[in-house]
Amino acid sequence: MKKIICYLLIIMILTGFAFGQTEMAKSPGSKIIDSLTIGKIELAIPEVGKEVERVTIDNGIVLYLYQSNKLPIFNLSATIRCGGIFDPFEKNGLSGIVGTVLRTGGSKTITGDSLNIIMEFMGGSLETWISDERGSASLSVMSKDIDLGLQLFADLIRNPAFPQDKLDLAKADIKNGIKRRDDSPNSVVGRYFANTIYGDHPYGRILEWESVKGITPQDLIDYHQRYFVPNNIMIAISGDFDKAGIIEKIKKYFGDWQKSDQPLPPYPEVKTEYHPGVYQVWKDINQAYMKIGHLGIKRDNPDRYAIQLVNYILGGGSFTSRLTSRVRSDEGLAYHVSSSFYTGGRDLGAFGAECQTKSATAYKATKLITDEIKRIRDESVTEDELEDARDATINRLVFEFDSPHKIVTALTNLEYDGYPMDYYNGHFDRFRKITRDDIKRVAQKYLQPDKLTYIIVGKPETFEKPLDEFGKVTNIQIAPPVIE
Amino acid sequence: MHKRLFLPLAAILLIAAFTVQAQTGEIKLDAKKQTLSNGMRVLVLENHSAPVFSGMIRFNTGSVDERPGITGISHLLEHMLFKGTKIIGTNNYKAEAPLMHKIDSLAHLFRSEQEKLSNPLNLQDSTRLKELRQQMADVQSEQKKYVVKDELWDTYLNNGGTSLNASTGNDGTQYYVSLPKNRLGLWAFLEADRLANLILREFYSERDVVMEERRLSENNPWGKLDEALSATTYWSTPYKWPVLGWMSDIQTVTREEVEAYFKSHYSPSNAVAVIVGDVNAEEVFKICEENFGKIPAQPLPPPVITRDAPQEGERRIEIEHTSNPMAFIAWKIPQIGHPDLPALEVAANILSNGRTSRFYKNIKVKKLGDVWAYAENARYPGTFVCSATPMPDHSITELETAIYAEIDRLKSESVTDWELEKVRNQVDASFIRSLESNMGLCWRLAGSEAVTGNWHHFIDHQMAVKKVTADDIMRVVNKYLIKKNRSVAYIVKTEESKSQPAYPKEG
Repeated sequence: MKKIICYLLIIMILTGFAFGQTEMAKSPGSKIIDSLTIGKIELAIPEVGKEVERVTIDNGIVLYLYQSNKLPIFNLSATIRCGGIFDPFEKNGLSGIVGTVLRTGGSKTITGDSLNIIMEFMGGSLETWISDERGSASLSVMSKDIDLGLQLFADLIRNPAFPQDKLDLAKADIKNGIKRRDDSPNSVVGRYFANTIYGDHPYGRILEWESVKGITPQDLIDYHQRYFVPNNIMIAISGDFDKAGIIEKIKKYFGDWQKSDQPLPPYPEVKTEYHPGVYQVWKDINQAYMKIGHLGIKRDNPDRYAIQLVNYILGGGSFTSRLTSRVRSDEGLAYHVSSSFYTGGRDLGAFGAECQTKSATAYKATKLITDEIKRIRDESVTEDELEDARDATINRLVFEFDSPHKIVTALTNLEYDGYPMDYYNGHFDRFRKITRDDIKRVAQKYLQPDKLTYIIVGKPETFEKPLDEFGKVTNIQIAPPVIE
Repeated sequence: MHKRLFLPLAAILLIAAFTVQAQTGEIKLDAKKQTLSNGMRVLVLENHSAPVFSGMIRFNTGSVDERPGITGISHLLEHMLFKGTKIIGTNNYKAEAPLMHKIDSLAHLFRSEQEKLSNPLNLQDSTRLKELRQQMADVQSEQKKYVVKDELWDTYLNNGGTSLNASTGNDGTQYYVSLPKNRLGLWAFLEADRLANLILREFYSERDVVMEERRLSENNPWGKLDEALSATTYWSTPYKWPVLGWMSDIQTVTREEVEAYFKSHYSPSNAVAVIVGDVNAEEVFKICEENFGKIPAQPLPPPVITRDAPQEGERRIEIEHTSNPMAFIAWKIPQIGHPDLPALEVAANILSNGRTSRFYKNIKVKKLGDVWAYAENARYPGTFVCSATPMPDHSITELETAIYAEIDRLKSESVTDWELEKVRNQVDASFIRSLESNMGLCWRLAGSEAVTGNWHHFIDHQMAVKKVTADDIMRVVNKYLIKKNRSVAYIVKTEESKSQPAYPKEG
């Protein structure tokens, strides 16, 4: 069995810097590095109206197009405004099932099994899935198969069949997932963290068989009718095609699809409540898996750029972040330690630091992480730390646009998530103007050590010291999942 | 809405015509190769579609090159290549060198003490061990004032580096990063410097990190199962231990042992550097000669001699674990380059790739479980592996029976022309898609060149896959995928340990 073990298991979105370098003499090699890093890093930010075209079809479908004829490849990604966030509590899991059965069930004219045969034979793919706040449908074919691909894609998205047998298969998969959810400590820690922070809000709900088992084909049909309407869909297309021709084809396959005037349901709001304390979940493992955090910010918060840098310096910047430097590099306590300030959703995200350490150092790691969260509030970061965080954040932007499909989806996502279309153009200035004082101010405002929730999975009786100094301890015994 | 009703057959004919039309050319890739004066090979593939490049250095050294006592050393060495050199990661190498020697001496005393304590005939008093550990920690913190933390990592990130990492496998170790195009000189300097001037700084805390990494795998049921499978499948070949190594070996290996391994295994002639992206090949060769060419040539490390004798019966290993049941099944197959491998790969593809695969149609759709098959292309004789996860209400035994039924069917019935044609189309399509990823191409080129000495091998292999016939498949399945030749590792669920304290139930 081939095994590949990486130096760093998880490549974080933002990734390093060195703490305390200002006080230290530089390395002899740093002069050579300076001489090799003089050239400005070239960055062409794609823009609507230039490389990328934005077109609205009469029925409301928004198209983003980027033509690139270098390779005979055609890629399409559709985004549908829907998601688990709208699932009623008693039908939790419905969105995910719709996303699965939409594809496996096929359309009213072509079965899912036939679709499998056609797509796999042409070496293409057509997939659909729905997450918390986004429905997605993708088509990838060689450019010689564009017509057939588009025809199948449109037919599936517009006329899905949702047959009982494929619904049953999707439910069996969910049942299996629920049955196995405690097999890995990672999934346990993630589940308890989200649920403790968000409670029964869709961001924190635990998927149970109870809400899934009663879902019927009619639920899926109703869902599709409500959300899969042209004025609720954006389509990003890249690759080897002729721009004018492809717009005509989209009109041909989607043009007679009728708009809907039914508004989206209201978004359930995250309650601004905190649940500080130490929650110990007992599991028979030789490490403590921990996640420590609290509610975060909304993505339209003007402080989010400064927060992004705070997080980079604290634990988002992988190796040389303060957490990795202290917990991993200095003390050898963990393979992986990091922090994140999630802003992917439209409501309040979460701040969280995570780490796995042997049981005998559970207290020590918890203490080091807590201290670092406090320290970035209490002391200013150094100019070097800030500079590193800014450079890394700005200079990696070129990789957001290094393939045709990344270019076109980057711009589509801006519109979907409600960012200004010149978001990337302003990136440089936004990060450049952030000062050490800004960092301290936002760290103090958005990191709240007295409100931290500590989820610790492991065997507390084997920790070197109790964790009660971090908050009131609640012991949790995992109940076996109910799948009857 | 279109009214045309597609039937599978109609679709096949329609698409087959297209496919034949498109299949006029052989798969081609215009990579350039040059060997430096010290034997290091450099491969370049120009791709000017974005102003970036990916770089990878691969050594033909992995856990298969280890021996008992130093298992996991390839992987630990990989970690150490991020710890700096004589000029990077330090502000005063001369001043820290004596401290590192001091740590080394303490580490030797520590190791003797560990050995003493591992023998029950000796007095079980760990006082001295604790003292030594403290002394090591004290010198380590003294050294800290000379350490510039993670300077290589830092420099790459500040210059826009992404996909930055390294990894170790059974067969090889690779170091990689993607950078903006005008950072090629920086890449060559940093990579050559860590090969020429490596210092194994902060070794003992990094060894602790690797022990934590091992524990992560111990707490993951697939990790446990994988380890059990290798140890059961291989009685002799050094594929028998995990890439991470055995805990006993990691916790006793010394800095000097890792250094010696580095010197014997990281010879320039044992390395391949690959650059794919917006670069000029001639310029890359020049920069590589300037930077890597300075590293002195040295002999190749010894080849791996030990092989397993032919297996003479099914082997089964059971692991009791709190997780739900799952299993691995492995059949021994030949090594890379053997003419039977393409047919085994096609068999794996027909069995498990996609929703038209046999496992999906006959096992998954019947809600028995998830099964996945894979034929290795390994440096030494490897395995054809199936992983199996039963769905609720089904056992490992039921799933195994269903898997063997599918394999037996391959032994007696020819696969269809449609299945073979599908595989051929997928080879072409996935090859074209692969051209979009600089890093993906680095993996293929580096792996092919390091293991076979011929970067073109992966393309030759794909061409051979396209030529596989139904008879080839029937022959290789009958030859290798037989009971006598297989090993099965599976998890049997146990309740969470009895030692669990009586906490109130949740909810």
